[in-house]
Amino acid sequence: MQRAIGRLPTTAAVSASVLVWVVLLGPLGVLLTQISPHQVRVTLDQPGALGPLWTSLEASAIALACMVILGTPLAYLLARHRLPAPRIVEAGIVMPLLMPPLVIGLLLIFLIGQAGPVGRVVSGVDPNVFGVNTFFALVVAEFYEAAPYYIISAAAALSTVDPRLEQDAQLLGHRQLTAFRKVTLPLAAPGLAAGLAIAWARAMGAFGAVLIVAYNPAGLPIRIDTSFIENGLSGALPFALLLIVAALPLPLIGLMWSARARGTRREFAAAAALAEPVG
Amino acid sequence: MTPALLEADVTVARRTFDVVARVSLAPGKRLALFGTSGAGKTTLVEAIAGTTPISSGEVRLDRKVVNAPPATWRALYPRGDRAGRRRSEPPVPFRHRGVAAVRQPTTLFPHLSVIENVGYGLGRPRPDHSDGSFAELLDRVGLSDLRRAVPEALSGGQRQRAALARALARPFKALLLDEPFSAVDVTSRGDLRDLAIDVTRRNGAVSVLVTHDLGEAQAFGDRIGVMDGGRILQIGDAAEIARAPANRRVAELFGYTCFSDHDEQYLRAFHPDRFAAGAYPERGIVVHGIVTAVRAFGARFACEVQVNDPSSLATLSPIQVNVDCPPAVGSRLEVTATEPPLVARVAVEGDEEG
Repeated sequence: MQRAIGRLPTTAAVSASVLVWVVLLGPLGVLLTQISPHQVRVTLDQPGALGPLWTSLEASAIALACMVILGTPLAYLLARHRLPAPRIVEAGIVMPLLMPPLVIGLLLIFLIGQAGPVGRVVSGVDPNVFGVNTFFALVVAEFYEAAPYYIISAAAALSTVDPRLEQDAQLLGHRQLTAFRKVTLPLAAPGLAAGLAIAWARAMGAFGAVLIVAYNPAGLPIRIDTSFIENGLSGALPFALLLIVAALPLPLIGLMWSARARGTRREFAAAAALAEPVG
Repeated sequence: MTPALLEADVTVARRTFDVVARVSLAPGKRLALFGTSGAGKTTLVEAIAGTTPISSGEVRLDRKVVNAPPATWRALYPRGDRAGRRRSEPPVPFRHRGVAAVRQPTTLFPHLSVIENVGYGLGRPRPDHSDGSFAELLDRVGLSDLRRAVPEALSGGQRQRAALARALARPFKALLLDEPFSAVDVTSRGDLRDLAIDVTRRNGAVSVLVTHDLGEAQAFGDRIGVMDGGRILQIGDAAEIARAPANRRVAELFGYTCFSDHDEQYLRAFHPDRFAAGAYPERGIVVHGIVTAVRAFGARFACEVQVNDPSSLATLSPIQVNVDCPPAVGSRLEVTATEPPLVARVAVEGDEEG
């Protein structure tokens, strides 16, 4: 009896975990059971059906590249406390996460549309390339929805690297950039990969802001929305499957690799801490 | 006199106290910074390497600035009384400084093997074990068999050996060693120390060792800097400081345990190792006492002696005398304090010039 009571908390915790897991993964299971291979083939065989996939992949890849190029230095400066007013900078980075995507979309009209001064300058170059409802607008909208995830996790990952290691690499003859590439980057790679994985999934699935500023050219999320409205669930589900297949494997691999690398590193760190001399 | 290779005159602001020090070393010279934990030794040596910012002063190595106060808007655009002051040149980049360092705690690149760590600064082609001098270096630090191991697989002592080898592998002008042998087994410390001294001499460089072990400081340094509370209290020849500490604090750090009043400014200091059993009036001050306790002390014996002299030295009681043959407790013992030095009660400004 006593043992049964002793086991109660464990049993409750395990049941709760299973419940959460089932609830979270349930929709995915439903998708897989509700959809027939025949239906998928018919839908995706239509001419131009794969167009939105390529649009999404290209836009997300470009948005991700911009994040890495622009976001990594920013994340590094944040991690090393080299920015003035870091709290304010951080708040600015997190802001797009806190704002509803639809609102971001509306505000982006000022940035890339004719409505605002910035937008007038940007789209003034060529409204067919840099205006609202262009590929450029899609990239910008995806960037806004996904970049904060990458920058925040990259800053966290970079701050775990001991700055003294960078100094050592430079004292041993490397330029700052080489030291970053040879020491900081490999050590922060698992965390950076995790950040990239999440950002990729967010960018591929970005909908709210995209709906407002980049309805055209339609990416996969927009295509799912229009199919759902025009043809109902049966028309939308094949595209949903396509989006999951395109958006998920990369992040999953990235996250799993990152978790494994961190796990081993944690063991290493524990071993190193034990080996560390006292005094 | 050869011009100094390393010249440091720095103030480093720390949370509890400032580290203020002046160090000047001619080529080939070795300085051991000795003091208790928290004396500011590590801060000073990091300031010399240029890896910690200083709030005023300058560090020059081979005439190149390696550390200067960080540029601020005020320094860039001086106003009022600051306008006339010369602004320090910006430090040269890390890679041109010629500084080799073993830091505390040991910093090895965790993602590289021992051989990659040691060869990190050597560029391409990457050195391997077939390279004669490189292999010899690995051999001398005792890591030949562990060259493929990653740092996390190493013990603390092995990590320190690898860090030392990495620092010595490249040519340098200053070798900065911060407690480099603290986890190394006592029997191999001497070998590693000799290796560091060898390579420093071959490079015509200077070196600074940080240690809280007086024996190690004396074995390594031509000169010893005694640090306490962020200041170098005395700097000079190892034997000279041991025989004539400038003030009470330095004497305490060197192991002097008893102090008797001399005059208003000075105390007479007594060291347990400088008490000899027997009366030798020509070598110092003779006191009479009674042995109250005897215990083993290394290979010798430490006797506690109650002084029953009518002199002012009675205030010292009890004193510790180290002898080869233990006398009986309660027996009388004549003790000679060999040339007990006079030390200042408090540090006097300018002492560190010594």
